[in-house]
Amino acid sequence: MTKQGIPYAQALRAYNAEREPALPQGELSTDELLRRYHPDYLSDAMVDLQIGPNKGERCHKQLADLLQANAIIDEAELAGAPVTETDVLVVGGGGAGCAAALTAALGGARVILATKLRLGDSNTVMAEGGIQASIEKDDSPQRHFDDTMRGGHGSSNPHLVRQLVMDGPDVIRWLIRQGMQFDVNEYGDLLTRKAGGASASRVVYCCDYTGLEMMRALRETVCNRRDIRVWENSPVVELLSNDQGHCAGAVTYSPDRGTFSIIKAQAVILATGGMGRLHLNGFPTSNHFGATADGLVLAYRMGARLMELDSFQYHPSGLAYPTHLAGYLVTEGLRSAGAYLLNGLGERFVDELKPRDYVAAAMLRECAEGRGVRVDEHTVGVWLDTPNLERKRPGFLAERFPKLLQTVRKGHVDPTREPLLIYPTLHYHNGGVEIDEHGATCVPGLFCAGENAGGIHGRNRLMGNALLDIICFGRRAGAKAAEGCHGRGHKTVGLEHVNRLRRELTEAGLPRDVKSPMLFPTYANFRITSCRS
Amino acid sequence: MSQLNQVLLHPERRVGADLERWLAAGGGAALRRALKGPEEVIDTIEAAGLRGLGGSGFPAARKWRAVAAQAGKPDKYLICNGNEDEPGTYKDRLLLEETPHQVIEGALATAVATGINRIVLYVNPGIQGALAAIGAALEQWRQSGWLEAMSEILDHQVTLELLPSSGHYCGGEETAAIEWVEGKFPFPRGKPPYPAEFGVHGNPTLINNMETLANVPHILLNGAEWYQSLGRGRGHGTKLYTLSGDVLKPGVYELPMGTPLQELIFEYGGGMLEQEPIKAIFAGGPSNILLTPKDLDVPLDFDSVRERGASLGTGAIIVVSEGTGIVKRVAEYVNFFAHSSCGQCPPCKTGTHYASMLLQKIDTGRGTRADLDALMDLCRILPGAGRCHLLDGVVKLLDSSFHHFMHEYQRPLRD
Repeated sequence: MTKQGIPYAQALRAYNAEREPALPQGELSTDELLRRYHPDYLSDAMVDLQIGPNKGERCHKQLADLLQANAIIDEAELAGAPVTETDVLVVGGGGAGCAAALTAALGGARVILATKLRLGDSNTVMAEGGIQASIEKDDSPQRHFDDTMRGGHGSSNPHLVRQLVMDGPDVIRWLIRQGMQFDVNEYGDLLTRKAGGASASRVVYCCDYTGLEMMRALRETVCNRRDIRVWENSPVVELLSNDQGHCAGAVTYSPDRGTFSIIKAQAVILATGGMGRLHLNGFPTSNHFGATADGLVLAYRMGARLMELDSFQYHPSGLAYPTHLAGYLVTEGLRSAGAYLLNGLGERFVDELKPRDYVAAAMLRECAEGRGVRVDEHTVGVWLDTPNLERKRPGFLAERFPKLLQTVRKGHVDPTREPLLIYPTLHYHNGGVEIDEHGATCVPGLFCAGENAGGIHGRNRLMGNALLDIICFGRRAGAKAAEGCHGRGHKTVGLEHVNRLRRELTEAGLPRDVKSPMLFPTYANFRITSCRS
Repeated sequence: MSQLNQVLLHPERRVGADLERWLAAGGGAALRRALKGPEEVIDTIEAAGLRGLGGSGFPAARKWRAVAAQAGKPDKYLICNGNEDEPGTYKDRLLLEETPHQVIEGALATAVATGINRIVLYVNPGIQGALAAIGAALEQWRQSGWLEAMSEILDHQVTLELLPSSGHYCGGEETAAIEWVEGKFPFPRGKPPYPAEFGVHGNPTLINNMETLANVPHILLNGAEWYQSLGRGRGHGTKLYTLSGDVLKPGVYELPMGTPLQELIFEYGGGMLEQEPIKAIFAGGPSNILLTPKDLDVPLDFDSVRERGASLGTGAIIVVSEGTGIVKRVAEYVNFFAHSSCGQCPPCKTGTHYASMLLQKIDTGRGTRADLDALMDLCRILPGAGRCHLLDGVVKLLDSSFHHFMHEYQRPLRD
């Protein structure tokens, strides 16, 4: 579909960094704006699930295709696969996975951390803005709780949110103990900034690469522990179940050797992250290469209930130009610091510090109604007014957002002199696997933490709550999983849950030649090549 | 008339743990009849040909008579065995969850017939739903006044108690159950002395599977001839078959004893998943001789299955489709038994462990001809070396997999 808007050059000529545009009056109500412009409300993109624990519930079509697909492997592939036994298996090498592995190991468990790519190849490193924790004097966990519940449109699980906000300050302390750096003032106190939708300044950060710094510290700590074995390049293609239906381990695949391995574990923690690389509704994504909803697919097959399968976060500020960086995340920290959003006419059209879903919907409205800035037939966007910010606080961008500056300057855009063109980018799955306060799912032995767990952010997540979520629930899941590791492990493990899936597919008349989890984006042209065949 | 779920799992009898509903559905009548003529009960059971449905197929009446004949000991025990832990067997779980009163009434009638005064419901704590249901059911019997009335008629006190078992696989063996009831670790004992003479604390003890006991009320009410007429061919009555594996509709099916295997798989089980051909059938659970597709015509009763060299066991039917690695599957089951060995008999403790290790090695392509020979040697020297039958089951499984699938063992060898 060809996109309309004001041509880039023309809009740039009309742009003036000296202007101080006023906030428009008479904005639409939140519900009205979301219903009309937010991609979650595109009703023809949604279907009802036909099988599994969430049968009959609404789900995005692209995700439903994966949840209702056949397993990649069957018993035949397991013949000859080597078996490794461990106490806790953590799947995923991002922040949640590392936090879970570390706490499980501290709890006395032998841990294997299996990750599809390499340790640290994750969305955690993409997180820029910071991590929320109510550490300021005028702030409290209660206010953090209220903001999070309000931001999630009231559909978050209050027990999980309570745990999240109460753990906040301790999570920061824990991260500092792991060696993570934060930005501090001249007295050594943590600096904070305010997130969109928050009532107090409570985002602590490390420049505009907070997640990268977090991952650096966690990665080193994990590598230094001898009781955590890291299996890189080992995508999990299926979980294992015992005869009671408990989760009892997983099957990994080695793309190099074309072989499968069996890991028997007393508890499995899924921390596989999100699904941006499904490019739902054709949106670009800020997510890393491996974000393909694998954890949701694996957990669903085991019988875990999922939630909010139709609720995604489109981050308002993904780069639209230079086009090779499409989807690249521009931190919300810029808007927190006071940068305006302007349409092609140079007008402000939304309060920049409203929650993300609202801001994104407002941007989509501007573009849909022809007030966006048009680069070519595929690319439109709105301005993020960085020169104005630079004018008011000279040197601020270079000091606080060095990563952004470095990246876009390579594309010959200088944010101190010309505004950045941005467009919403598929950023986060608000829902996920239903968990309790310890990250436990309804399947015994199966835990979830991080983006693939649901219920914490309701239908919209606030900035900085994701980094808090992964560490808070990663630690809780790790501790709980290690607690249950006594005795001699599972007596029998197998793929009975896969048989159950195939039965359901047969009975529902669904195709059985579509396979999942997809592991890599479609454009990776990845195929399982078993050495057997 | 449909042959499915005629007796134990009849929809009218699946009333859960509600005693009122059980009595309204005709419950209690069998117990009253037993109380009127205790001496006829064993004769009826014998005429009906009721056999131990927990796996042995031993005629129930013979055990009962042995216990009934004992005199001079302070107590007589009945252990109702619900320690179900065999891979692929879920019948007791279903029975206890859905019709616990049937089992309790059967146990009470049995006690009346054999002069037993202490009944222990021995249930695996791993099947929580079943444990909860039978616990709730038991409480209602205690409060209902039935037990007092019974004690008055029989002139001795009858107690009914629920005892969660250890959950260990070996705890399902009769003598291991006795040990646990005595408060010890469930190590199987050597036999003789047999439990009927020297069981719990030296008292005569009868041990029956939950399914066996559940049949008792129906036989007492409807008579031996009715029970015999339910079966097909040489079978009597009905059997709970647990169908699992690569079939479209796995589950517990109550069918006439003697229903042919292929009827169970294709008519009731909906056939094979993805229309894959059958490779092997673990009948009676994994501690048995493997059946192959040429045995599909076998009627599933104790004697017919035994004639094929296998055993009906608990009625577990695990169907494995073409493509499944037999070595892997056998390794998995042997590993289960190695985990389950109680460890008191050295040949079993080390033999199962060693067999599991060798299988693992062969399956993952690290094995040599010498490993396979060692495994086959184990099968020659191990049988009969344990107090219970765990070790023999492992050997049966290995032997039959060698017999039918030797090529799968040989293929991954390194030399």
